[in-house]
Amino acid sequence: MQTAESGAGQPPLLEARGLSKRYGATQALDSLDLAIEPGEVYCLLGPNGAGKTTTINLFLGFVPPSGGQALVSGMDVSTHDRETKRRLAYIPEQVMLYRNLSGLENLEYFAALGGKGSLGRERLADILVEAGLERDAVDRRVSEYSKGMRQKVGIAIAMAKEADALLLDEPTSGLDPKASNEFSALIERLRNDGVAVLMATHDLFRAKETGTRVGIMRYGSLVTELGTDEIGHADLERVYLEHMHD
Amino acid sequence: MTARIVIRNEWRLLMADRPLRLALGLFALLLVYALANGVVWTRFQESTVEVAQAGNVERALAIEQELTDIENGAEPASPFSDPRLPNVLGGRRGRHTAVLTPGPLTALAVGQSDLLPYYYDVNIYTNESSFHQSGEVESPLNLMVGRFDLAFVVVYLLPLLVLALSFNVLSEEREQGTLALTLSQPVSARGVVAAKLAFRALLVVGMVLAVSLAGILVAGDFGAPGRILLWCAAVVAYALFWFVLAAWVNSLRRSSAWNATVLVGAWLVLVVVLPAAINIAAGLLHPLPSRVQMVTAQREASNEAVNQRSELLARYLEDHPEMAEGVVADEPGLGALAWAATDAVNRRLEEVTAEHDVRRAEQIALVRRYRFLSPALLTQEVLIDAAGTGDARFAAFQSQVRVFAERWREFFVPAILASEQMNAGVLSDVPQFRLADEASADVVRRAGVPLAVLTGLLGLAGAGAGVGLGRVRGAD
Repeated sequence: MQTAESGAGQPPLLEARGLSKRYGATQALDSLDLAIEPGEVYCLLGPNGAGKTTTINLFLGFVPPSGGQALVSGMDVSTHDRETKRRLAYIPEQVMLYRNLSGLENLEYFAALGGKGSLGRERLADILVEAGLERDAVDRRVSEYSKGMRQKVGIAIAMAKEADALLLDEPTSGLDPKASNEFSALIERLRNDGVAVLMATHDLFRAKETGTRVGIMRYGSLVTELGTDEIGHADLERVYLEHMHD
Repeated sequence: MTARIVIRNEWRLLMADRPLRLALGLFALLLVYALANGVVWTRFQESTVEVAQAGNVERALAIEQELTDIENGAEPASPFSDPRLPNVLGGRRGRHTAVLTPGPLTALAVGQSDLLPYYYDVNIYTNESSFHQSGEVESPLNLMVGRFDLAFVVVYLLPLLVLALSFNVLSEEREQGTLALTLSQPVSARGVVAAKLAFRALLVVGMVLAVSLAGILVAGDFGAPGRILLWCAAVVAYALFWFVLAAWVNSLRRSSAWNATVLVGAWLVLVVVLPAAINIAAGLLHPLPSRVQMVTAQREASNEAVNQRSELLARYLEDHPEMAEGVVADEPGLGALAWAATDAVNRRLEEVTAEHDVRRAEQIALVRRYRFLSPALLTQEVLIDAAGTGDARFAAFQSQVRVFAERWREFFVPAILASEQMNAGVLSDVPQFRLADEASADVVRRAGVPLAVLTGLLGLAGAGAGVGLGRVRGAD
């Protein structure tokens, strides 16, 4: 668990300092310390209820913390809601869109809300295609889309925003292997562009493939942290299971 | 910026939503139908007023002609309708019909104009019972529920459309999962909901105001800008009240079904139950004397008067020395005796109608006191006042007619008591009714109170919605 300053003296893009969240008697997150630098993909692993989604929700300001701070580029999410959200993109487990609108219309709307209203329809259509959507699907109603197609629109929304940091909550859940691989390639590209990524996932394989660091959570605490280049697939699974059985 | 983006998206969603477009189209049809109803009623009133005014002119001309003929040696057409007799010239034959022209915006709100008389035949026999007759013969269903006019659509149906459009303005976003994606952008739930409701409000209010202005163009009076502004302000404030109430309920973060139940319940209570309860309370606490009692009193007084005419005349002259003016005929004529009897009947009627008026005033006071509980009552009051079809305008008209009837009596009764004969020369001196209609500024001042309270209720609901929406976050 590290709290780091980047080389140039800039604060980490995503940082948790003693971040805690309590729902009644349940401690959903307990004093999480975490720092993610540009170009890092940090994968949070853990069973349901471990605190992964809570961590992402705290960074998005969707829930107020019970203690500690969630910082984006050094700014506290609680006090700088708009500024931090301008720097963040978010892809939920299930990207839900306006069913009566096309993928392109949905992208136009969310991109404009994210401050990218100047992007023309042509450019947005290209982004949808870059995100993996077929060209002839961009003008079809979302009600005709599969889950994977909606997920690609979600990715396009994040890409169009050109955010500094990306928050992903089980983004490959329910995607077929091909779509998952395309997704991994996309994350790789974003990482190379200097985007900081925080991804909550159950998928150990995807975490090893995509991530640069992996944190294993249990009962709201980060129990261990590993660099993905330090460990193989089998070792990651073994370490994960060891912590789950403690 | 956010507002423009959200409104553009709302437009797209509307265009893609066929049932919603149908609902709006149906509402537009209802508005047009309601306006047509109002225009038909206004035209009917205008034609009635024209007939009444033409009748005044025709009667005056016929009497003038007959008086001239008599002066030139002709015999009266009938000894019972001899226009030289002051009780004939000032009586039913020479009566003057006092009319209240339709209010400037009657086509938008029929209001009390189909319940309260807008013309009275004034003659020397005009008494309190004349002011307690209803106007047109009207369908009982119309009297019970009121006419289907624009004011009815605004007060009763507009809230239902507003609620249909906005009961799930936020809950739907949460239920379909778009709220999280929306609120992960640099926007607030308050800003997004405000923009969504602003779009819907523009649609609904725009339709109502467009049809209202069309109605004014067709059958109204653009010369009353104060009244038009009042009408528009009431429509806007009332519609916004319901939109904001929907936002408040949505901010409680419950399901769409729960929101719908609560909002329909609010409509039922505020628009239907409370006004009805206040009306029932007014009737129970301050019941009006029955009309049967009034008619019985009138008959009893008539019988009594016929039996005691001479005595009554002496009493009348004691009470009204100004009417005698020292020129009472030595032998009272039939006209004088009849007038004494009429006056006695009038006095008895005044006792009965005074009680009626007191109770009615108490009822109105009670309704006025508790109307602040219902935005529907407040809005209705402003709308019909702006239209010139409210209680106040009719009461002012009736009051002016009372004064006119008194002037009429003062003109003819001394001649009756003196058994004088009239001639064509006096016709130009016969009183004429000139309505002094209320100024727009007075209407605005009077309607300003309920409008201010309505705006206060809007502010209250707005504050609740603002606070509630401020707590809405993406993970609700």
